[in-house]
Amino acid sequence: MIKKIITLFLVLTIVLLIITGLNLEYEDKEESPWDQFVKENYEETGAVNLIEAVLLDFRGYDTFGEVMILYIAISGVIIIGKEMKKGDSK
Amino acid sequence: MKSVIVRTASRALAPFLLLAGLYMATHGFLLPGGGFQGGVLLASGVILILLTHGREKVIRLEEDIDWFEAFGAVVFLGAGLTAIIMGKPFLTNLFPGTPIWCIALDIVVSLKVFAGTVALFVYLFGMRAVREC
Repeated sequence: MIKKIITLFLVLTIVLLIITGLNLEYEDKEESPWDQFVKENYEETGAVNLIEAVLLDFRGYDTFGEVMILYIAISGVIIIGKEMKKGDSK
Repeated sequence: MKSVIVRTASRALAPFLLLAGLYMATHGFLLPGGGFQGGVLLASGVILILLTHGREKVIRLEEDIDWFEAFGAVVFLGAGLTAIIMGKPFLTNLFPGTPIWCIALDIVVSLKVFAGTVALFVYLFGMRAVREC
């Protein structure tokens, strides 16, 4: 019974949040970060492709994290693979 | 692989795959593409040769593949740390106004993804399957 009440409460909250979100009126007065990127892109990075500029310059941390995740994953694969190779030759 | 058709076709196709990969990796700042996609295209060319012609053709590359991987990670980290040494925040663009930064990091990332994909293939899948080819 308690579970059902909690579920109902959560569903109602989510529905309310969605309705509120749909009814929000956006004011376009302030510059969003995106407008800033579009304006400053060419002068700052010299890259015509905006996606590339965002990936490697404005959001370099993100790409750095991706590269490091890939590095750690491949390191694990290589370590295990070399151990298996040793076992094969014995 | 014994099939003559597959061997001939792959031999004709692999250089173009490598060329397309290089093109995509170095022209990421102008056109859709970039380091990750270019690296995967480069790797697909090598994997095609590896699958059809056996391991002997790429054995040299296979031995050095983990060095490529480490090189990519260290250079990316070094590029970030150089900015700190010069008194700017981590991973700041060192050549503002020119696409040098994007091109250099793109090539580094593509080398790294290329090495990673080939190593993944060789170590996870290649062991037995490639030996039997």
